[in-house]
Amino acid sequence: MALLEVKDLDVRFAVRGGDLKALRRISFSLDKGERLGLVGESGAGKSVAAFSILNLIAKPGYIAGGQILFEGRDLAAMSERELRRIRGNRIAMIFQDPMMTLNPVLTIGTQMVEAIQAHRKISRRQAREIALDRLRKVQIPSPEKRLDQYPHELSGGMRQRVIIAIALLLDPDIIIADEPTTALDVTIQAEIMALLLELCERENVALMLITHDLGVVSQVTQRMLVMYSGRIIEQGPTREIINDAQHPYTQGLINALPQMGEPGGAIVPDPRLHAVAEERALGVPLPPPLPLRQRAVPAVDAGLCPFRQRGRGLLRSEQPD
Amino acid sequence: MTSPLVSIRGLEKRFDLSGGLLEQITFEKGRFRRRQEAVHAINGVDLDVQRGEALCVVGESGCGKSTVARTVMGLISPSAGEIHYDGQRIDNLEGKAALPYRRRMQMIFQNPYASLNPRMTIQQTLEEPIRFHFPTWSAAEVRDKVHEVMQSVGIDPDWGSRFGHEFSGGQRQRIAIARALAVDPEFIVADEPISALDVSIQAQVLNLLMDAQESRSLTYLFITHDLAVVEHFGTRVAVMYLGRVCELADTRTLFATPRHPYTQALLSAIPKLEDDRPNHIRLQGEVPTPVNLPSGCVFHGRCPYANERCRREVPKLIATDGGTRVACHAVEEGRL
Repeated sequence: MALLEVKDLDVRFAVRGGDLKALRRISFSLDKGERLGLVGESGAGKSVAAFSILNLIAKPGYIAGGQILFEGRDLAAMSERELRRIRGNRIAMIFQDPMMTLNPVLTIGTQMVEAIQAHRKISRRQAREIALDRLRKVQIPSPEKRLDQYPHELSGGMRQRVIIAIALLLDPDIIIADEPTTALDVTIQAEIMALLLELCERENVALMLITHDLGVVSQVTQRMLVMYSGRIIEQGPTREIINDAQHPYTQGLINALPQMGEPGGAIVPDPRLHAVAEERALGVPLPPPLPLRQRAVPAVDAGLCPFRQRGRGLLRSEQPD
Repeated sequence: MTSPLVSIRGLEKRFDLSGGLLEQITFEKGRFRRRQEAVHAINGVDLDVQRGEALCVVGESGCGKSTVARTVMGLISPSAGEIHYDGQRIDNLEGKAALPYRRRMQMIFQNPYASLNPRMTIQQTLEEPIRFHFPTWSAAEVRDKVHEVMQSVGIDPDWGSRFGHEFSGGQRQRIAIARALAVDPEFIVADEPISALDVSIQAQVLNLLMDAQESRSLTYLFITHDLAVVEHFGTRVAVMYLGRVCELADTRTLFATPRHPYTQALLSAIPKLEDDRPNHIRLQGEVPTPVNLPSGCVFHGRCPYANERCRREVPKLIATDGGTRVACHAVEEGRL
């Protein structure tokens, strides 16, 4: 049985003039120790998907239907009190902006101890030991000193390391990371991603990585979901999708990436980038049955669109092996 | 060789951190002392932008790339150094004397959500610079020009009465580009014009900028932190680190044979689609603060090849046989 199984999850935002459907009955699963990537453009629903797992959807958003089974128990049906025992404990979260996550008026140590004591009945001193151990794991220089520092005294990369240390505090089964390196520079991003990958492998933690960067997904995850306007339009093993994407949107997304030439200069990239045709303006209602039709006109005309062929998304998981 | 369109000489910019005189004075060991601190954003940059090229300036946050862009545009004044445009020194021009250059040089900003006035329609936004720089034009001429630039960036001219918020990010950035193109400039400074956009939209905007360069023979100074984009866009690339240029080369040469250890690390840090695992060059530590600059080479604290000379002496940009200009003692001495 999968560690986490999301079934027909339907999340809506109650706005003037009706519900905005952020997730349209999406289903996916995550195994123990597995690393799953969620990609898509802004507004595709990838963050909502991640947030709704821990019921962190703020009003006017609400879960309108579906199940979120964690070890067979439905998180969507749990009371806030029960959910609090899982949040941060069994399922931890890493957010995009470390400055928003850390409390600016408490020291790193206080925040870490607080998180441990919220879930375990142990003394301050023991909790501090655990905190120190996790800071060592994320390779922060002079961890003892960091415990007594405030977030503003650390650099952006260091803060994100602290966040990862906090996520690891209670030995979670799943870490949900929402764009964990988007606010960081490339060299720091590379360090943080390498660290996160190494820790997940060593501690056998499942990772759900939300990102818009296909390169990062390729480096870190084993399986990926591509989302578009609240639906999963393609899912499967990361390598397979990147090498041979089936959905025209995924193909467009991959082709739109700037191609890096080979070191040594053997392959020179095409100077023109391949744009994905037409974008969706914010606030414009989605074309209901085939949200991609407008942007995939050539594919539809050529009869290549899987939506047209099969009436719905062509999912790798549906294909026989 | 023709003279460069824009030439930057010995540019320095410091931002004072110490506040007013009273805040600077401290009382220590029985004496008053005055203390001044400054962020050294640019520390001696020399760059030439040739006509018709796209010079990309890349680097991580805080390396001074945006400050270079803003100083060139005259949005901030340099602490030292000179900026020449078409042979004329422009960093000391004021008022009316600067006006012709303001038309010939235009800027595109990073965030199209912030750079468009929310209370003006697109028509008004695009008409304003034209009316300002061509006061003798008739209303019909202005309208025609707006019509033309909107078409050239792929925005339906009928949408002129809409406001900025009614457009998506990519459309807004195209409008910002239209505004820059409206006064027929020769030189455009683009400060991270695609960083706020989704990947699929980035491609559109970059292609648009490239088309405009071809059809209007524009010269670009393109500021970005995204090296992958540079490989498509730039004629030449300048890599900056802590306010200095550490490598300057033709785009193809830079990507094929990066010479400076920082450039090598930067290139290796970009996650590529064909990677199964992160495989970047690990740098020690983090970027030092630009308030207290390291002595010698600014990169020496993180550089695996640093030696005594690197800690002592500031490396100069030196031409190598490959045509690259590199500021690195290790490269100069043949250690790297």
